[in-house]
Amino acid sequence: MEEVKALDKNEENNAIAVQYIVVKIGNEQYGINIQYIDNIVRNQRITRVPKSQHYYKGVINLRGEIVPVMSIRLKLGLEDDDYTDKTRIIILKVDTATIGVIVDQVKEVVTLENKDVEKANKTTLDEAASGYISGIGKSKEELISLLDIVSLIEEG
Amino acid sequence: MDVSQYLEIFIDESNEHLQNLSDQLMVLEKEPDNNDTINEIFRAAHSLKGMAGTMGYKRMQNLTHDMENVFSEVRNGNMSVNSELVDVLFQCLDALETYVSNIQQNQDEGTDDNEPIIKALNAFIASEGKVQESSNKAEHGSDSEPTAPDIDYNGIVLTDFEKNAVNEAFKKNLHTYKIRVTVEENCILKAARAFLVFKNLEGHCDVIKSEPSVQDIEDEKFDFDFSLVVISAESFGEITKIIKSVSEIKDAIGEEIKAPFTEDAHAEHHDEVKEEKKADKDSKEVAVADKKPAPASSSKQPVAQGKTKPVGHTVRVDIEKLDVLMNLVSELIIAKNGLVSASSLEDGGAPVNQTFNEQIEYLERVTTNLHESVMKVRMMPIESVVSKFPRMIRDLSKKLNKKMELYMSGEDTELDRTVIDEIGDPLMHLLRNSADHGLESAEVRKERGKPEVGSIFLDAYQDGNNVAIEVRDDGNGIDVERVRNKAIEKGTITEEQAASMSDKDIVDLLFKPSFSTAEKITDVSGRGVGLDVVRSKIEALGGDIEVKTIYGEGSTFIIRLPLTLAIIQALMVKVGDEKFAISLGSIQRIEDININEIKYVHAKEVIHLRGSVIPLIRLRDLLDVPGEPLEQENITVVIVSKGDKLAGLVVDSLIGQMEIVIKSLGKYININKMISGATILGDGSVALIIDANTLV
Repeated sequence: MEEVKALDKNEENNAIAVQYIVVKIGNEQYGINIQYIDNIVRNQRITRVPKSQHYYKGVINLRGEIVPVMSIRLKLGLEDDDYTDKTRIIILKVDTATIGVIVDQVKEVVTLENKDVEKANKTTLDEAASGYISGIGKSKEELISLLDIVSLIEEG
Repeated sequence: MDVSQYLEIFIDESNEHLQNLSDQLMVLEKEPDNNDTINEIFRAAHSLKGMAGTMGYKRMQNLTHDMENVFSEVRNGNMSVNSELVDVLFQCLDALETYVSNIQQNQDEGTDDNEPIIKALNAFIASEGKVQESSNKAEHGSDSEPTAPDIDYNGIVLTDFEKNAVNEAFKKNLHTYKIRVTVEENCILKAARAFLVFKNLEGHCDVIKSEPSVQDIEDEKFDFDFSLVVISAESFGEITKIIKSVSEIKDAIGEEIKAPFTEDAHAEHHDEVKEEKKADKDSKEVAVADKKPAPASSSKQPVAQGKTKPVGHTVRVDIEKLDVLMNLVSELIIAKNGLVSASSLEDGGAPVNQTFNEQIEYLERVTTNLHESVMKVRMMPIESVVSKFPRMIRDLSKKLNKKMELYMSGEDTELDRTVIDEIGDPLMHLLRNSADHGLESAEVRKERGKPEVGSIFLDAYQDGNNVAIEVRDDGNGIDVERVRNKAIEKGTITEEQAASMSDKDIVDLLFKPSFSTAEKITDVSGRGVGLDVVRSKIEALGGDIEVKTIYGEGSTFIIRLPLTLAIIQALMVKVGDEKFAISLGSIQRIEDININEIKYVHAKEVIHLRGSVIPLIRLRDLLDVPGEPLEQENITVVIVSKGDKLAGLVVDSLIGQMEIVIKSLGKYININKMISGATILGDGSVALIIDANTLV
């Protein structure tokens, strides 16, 4: 995993531009690096898995595969999800594992260059969330918290 | 020649031959005069040698060659089999196994020549075979050409015309050589190789004579060697080098004809040698004939083995292809379940099309059969794993200086291929444990009135939808008090806990990581990595392990493994709004129980049913199912069993029996062990599978 992280950082430092999908969770906007995104599906029936971590909502059937679904809200220490018709499950692929995360709304795709990204300032962020944010992106006067997908999924 | 395509076959077959050798050596040690066994060993060693040679693994070839020499002496009655010889031979097998595993890993046999073993082998031949050696010289030489002074030139005879040519050559100061070329025994296109020899020689020398004739050679009408008479200006070394540069040419030997040609001095010798070769060839033929169709078939067992094991019509299939097939069958079953639920949805509405239903039933039958067939294809007898254990116990017996005997039964019990691959190590751990900790020393055994030779049993058998493997010994058993004290000493448990724990709970501590009670750490076991590894491996395979022990009388480790991994028959139950699957294999029966029949023992709910007290487990509580429990007069209890223990699972209602495909939940969602996976139902929703074994 270290390797992936290192790779990730390298890319952010050197790559001229990285594409992010901007999603809305609560009042904030978050960016998810497009390279991890396999698919975006509508909210569907999630089967609860007893005795799992509290931020796992359960599992869904994604075309015959069982995919665990995580609530980013709960993982970041926010309020529980409030499902609307805009709620989406973003299917992420990290390594060989597939995992779904729930977001309130998918907004757009933005391309951020290095100069648009500010390294995360740990002190200004909420403690629960700070570990999972790799930086703050600026696009059209709006701020986007860039999610560190690997640690979001790997860290229990 | 590019041999990489044959590499897998080579590895498979080598392993089979090695296993066969190991088995036969064990027999030989007990019955040193068993001729069938000796012949079998000889053949296996010979095939190995040939195969290694073909693939260009010289070290492996050399070692097998020397082994073969020993077997050949034994076969001829020049040497008797004793325990030391068997020891050395086993060392050979280990060395060969190392070669094969090296080859498997990096396609290279490694650089270890295993000189000491080869020396030891030769020492046996030297000491034992000396007396008869002279009388058996020809025999000896038949397989080690370079040292034999008598070369068989296939009875080459020059005509007057050719003799003239030779004599002419002498006048021109050219050299005349007689050369015998030997082709590898496993060469598939002998004629092509021979042709290349001729072609390469062009321009370097004139071939004035060959035996058999060039035409016969091109038609492949020769065994493994042919002889040439050539005239050349180049040195003998140059010429043989050219010949040997052709791949699959084993050797080219010969001599220069130093004087104008006269009658062949070796003619007399030929018949003798030839006959000898013929005899030898009979066994070679077996290997060669088998080798040819190898890429497509696996009827690779030497004929002699057919006596004990009938050779079936078999095809080697890559396990990955079977996995793909299995996945497709899984998909098919999910699709079928979808159809079934679609058809039942129409209930209550317009009358369901009867033909449609019939077809669905038909489809159901076919998919079930298809699944069973694919499963069967993936099944392998457990024999392939356990067959190496007698050898291991023999070695342990020597190493630990304890007399012990391994008795095995049920080697033909079949398990899924993936399970077979994984089960070897845990079983080995358990056997080592039994041998090292379980069995007492001979003196202690005598004192206790037990036979001096300790017994270890390995029994495999099918038990419902599970396969059980028992490792049992008649040794010391587990000293529960010692484990208890050790656990307190190590701080694993407190003294209070220890007092309240049952013997069974104490024994279970042995499966905790880094808990070893062996007073002295031996080479064999006792490093505390054994039993917890065993347990986690078996649980990873969806099985479980249980210990029964009586102090002073021995212990039994029982491993239970699921027969199939991917698709099972399950009972679907409903708790609250959620659906769960319980493997049919662990279900004993289903009971309707009046709530008044529930009794309490230690504040836990139990029911008394036909003489047995069964604890009740309320799935609603266990699985934190939301919602209020139903107010019922009667509750539905699914009685599940593990071994002879029972438990009653309380559910809200039953849905029915269903064939389900087990899917993993992945590594991130950290679930309790009681959920063994999930499955997709006909309507596309997900149901979790409850592993009843963990609840009992």
